[in-house]
Amino acid sequence: MTAFLIRRAALAIVTGFAVLTLVFVLVRIVPGDPALVILGDYASESALQALRERLGLNLPLWDQYVEFLKGALMGNWGVSMVTGRPVIEEILKVLPWTIELTVVSLILGLLVGVPLGVWAAIRRNQTLDYLIRVVSLLGLSMPAFVSAVILLLMFAIQVRWFPVISAQTGSLSAWFQSIALPAINLGIIMAAYITRVTRSAMLEVLQEDFVRTARAKGVPWNAVVWRHALRNALIPIITITGLFLGIQIGNSVLTEIVFNRPGLGKLIVGALNQRDYTMLQGMMVIYTLIVVFINVLTDIAYGLADPRVKLR
Amino acid sequence: MIRRVVASAAFAVMLVGLSGQAEAQKRNLVIATSQSDAGKLDPHLASAGADKGLLNYVFNALVRIKPGEANPEFIEPDLAESWTVNPAGIEWTFKIRSGVQCHDGTEFTATDAAYSLQRSSTKATSAFSGDFSALDKAEAVDKNTLKVTLKNPIPSLLGLLSNYHGGLMVCKKAAEEAGDGFGKKPIGTGPFMFVEYQPQQFVKLTANKKYWRGAPKIDEITYRYVPSDATRDLAFRNGEVDMVFGRQTDQWVQRTKDIPGVKVVAMEPAELNVLHLNMAMKPLDDIRVREAIAHAIDRKAMVQFGGPEATREAVSVIPNGNLGLNPKTPLADYNIEKAKKLLADAGYPNGVTIKSVASTLPVLFRISETVQGQLSKAGIKLDIEPVDHPTYHANIRKDLSGVTLYQAARFPVADTYLSQFYYSKSIVGTPTAVTNFSHCTAADKEIEAARSEPNVERQKALWFAAQEKIAKEFCSVPFSESLVIWAWRDSLDFGYPMKGSLNLMPHLTEKAQFTK
Repeated sequence: MTAFLIRRAALAIVTGFAVLTLVFVLVRIVPGDPALVILGDYASESALQALRERLGLNLPLWDQYVEFLKGALMGNWGVSMVTGRPVIEEILKVLPWTIELTVVSLILGLLVGVPLGVWAAIRRNQTLDYLIRVVSLLGLSMPAFVSAVILLLMFAIQVRWFPVISAQTGSLSAWFQSIALPAINLGIIMAAYITRVTRSAMLEVLQEDFVRTARAKGVPWNAVVWRHALRNALIPIITITGLFLGIQIGNSVLTEIVFNRPGLGKLIVGALNQRDYTMLQGMMVIYTLIVVFINVLTDIAYGLADPRVKLR
Repeated sequence: MIRRVVASAAFAVMLVGLSGQAEAQKRNLVIATSQSDAGKLDPHLASAGADKGLLNYVFNALVRIKPGEANPEFIEPDLAESWTVNPAGIEWTFKIRSGVQCHDGTEFTATDAAYSLQRSSTKATSAFSGDFSALDKAEAVDKNTLKVTLKNPIPSLLGLLSNYHGGLMVCKKAAEEAGDGFGKKPIGTGPFMFVEYQPQQFVKLTANKKYWRGAPKIDEITYRYVPSDATRDLAFRNGEVDMVFGRQTDQWVQRTKDIPGVKVVAMEPAELNVLHLNMAMKPLDDIRVREAIAHAIDRKAMVQFGGPEATREAVSVIPNGNLGLNPKTPLADYNIEKAKKLLADAGYPNGVTIKSVASTLPVLFRISETVQGQLSKAGIKLDIEPVDHPTYHANIRKDLSGVTLYQAARFPVADTYLSQFYYSKSIVGTPTAVTNFSHCTAADKEIEAARSEPNVERQKALWFAAQEKIAKEFCSVPFSESLVIWAWRDSLDFGYPMKGSLNLMPHLTEKAQFTK
């Protein structure tokens, strides 16, 4: 396990370095002048030039790259070109919000998606199966910003159970009020995805010989499904969930915007719109590390779910 | 008897409770802006509208535009009680008010004012240093006397020193101690003090009880960043927000006016919507083609499209309300046949195709598409290249666009808009570039002469002449103006009529309060 973790950490560093280089080049290829965004459209050319010099944007690309690498290796990720605040500080302030939303929506997604997937599988081609498949398709097809506004209209405006602006802190009830609707919104998509994956995996496992043997031996049906079959169906569920989780962190931006929650998604969209090179570079590395971390967790989960899997 | 005593006691308790409720007046204000997060909260670096508006609550200037107005004709004393100027218009002496405290407890004096002007005129510390290019020196003669010396007279020094852009005054000690970090905890002299900033959420301000004009009647302002239009509207409707930045459409105005207890105001200054015609690019180098474009735009229809609540017709090549606006600027009438004839005379009987780099920002893109539709009736095909907003700004400054739709307001003195959009030294792609996308040089003489003209009437006449020349040269085709829309609870009393604000946000002073 230790060797596995060390190998993965080394891979993460190499991946981070490659992503950093790619992002460094890509953001500078995209048209748009950060100095103009920062100073505003009435800025004179001389003021823009002065700012470009101060930000180091007038240096050759290679010099900018070397400067940035030096700083990154020393833990200095620079300051946001737009706000002047340290990049790492900005990211760390909003990262907990994103992690919180992603974890809660994942839990919701699993709690709803796995049972629905199992029921759909054991009632294959019956009414319940069709119903669950249609609902999960709706969940997958509905754009996040549409479902978000619908949730707000229903639960914040009509019945006033929750606030419209979701970012509240201070007490457990405030926390619950702030996380509920955004987590449901992201959880809908997660649940829909997990439902379909669980159904497929269960259908395959329920055809296996050991299931027939267990039933023949008189093991209760519930035990066959939930204790034996589901456990064997977990590997593909864990794989897809892990992959989807990485994507969800990026997709959370629409939910963050509509519910007005801080988050990495909003931060990266803002940085892109403002051509904030330093922020974009820092954000991309963080995203890479998050995805790598999720993949490591997924691999560890395999080992826990299936004793035959050995992590080397 | 006992029943009567109990009933009386209950009635008395009820009365006390009700009177307590009547006195529990709301004292916390929540504002929602469309910006997604705070930019730089340093008054000399803040370029985003939402930041400038907020900082206006934290800082004062030497003079201010009367709250509720957006016209420099309403300039009045602020930190400066009075001022004199020498006949040459180069030496200004300001008497600085005594007893003004900075939020950190230090006294604001002429030394702070001089420091502030140095700071706002220095490239390294100010986004507005270009505005102060005529500043020679600012010195504290004594504790309450500030002397400002210019290299040459300028049209409106008081405008530059007002509560707009680089005119806001910082406190020297706090600014020097904070250095580059001043924007993290801005210290001013204004009615509200900075308390905290939560990324992507809000900035909180608290009342400055020692404010020199009197303690504010609002205890706390929470300035929320809510970029989603739908969320902002719903939060306002739900009562979570008291004042909200609106959309510049009639639909939004009507829908919001229908909410009980709400006031919607279309504020000055209006941003002028104008097509700049790049005379350095064929076929726009031919005045007949430019004139054809001017005749193909129906200004009244554009106002109808924008909605009369939020839009009005353009009057000149500079925005309405500008000091020095020529109300009789000869703008082209709408005439498709004339447009076609002009094109034919120019050698394009079958029409012409012109490139236009357009921003995909919804408020601008819908106008671009409407303009495209209008021009097509005259056989002018506008080849729109849609790009995101930062790319649009970069590309139009690289001279890549033939027709450039631009929406902007500037400090409402004619010189500002004329110099930035129609003066030869501001032509894009040059070392002194600003925003002259049309490469217009038609009125250089008048613009230069007006800058140094000491007589107000002659200065106005020069500005009038400049606008006439620019219109006759068809450097640009102005068609409409978009007003800034804000809505607030009708229980919020600003203490003065809110007609406009140069910072595009209602100016909250110590007088603002909730009436219930």
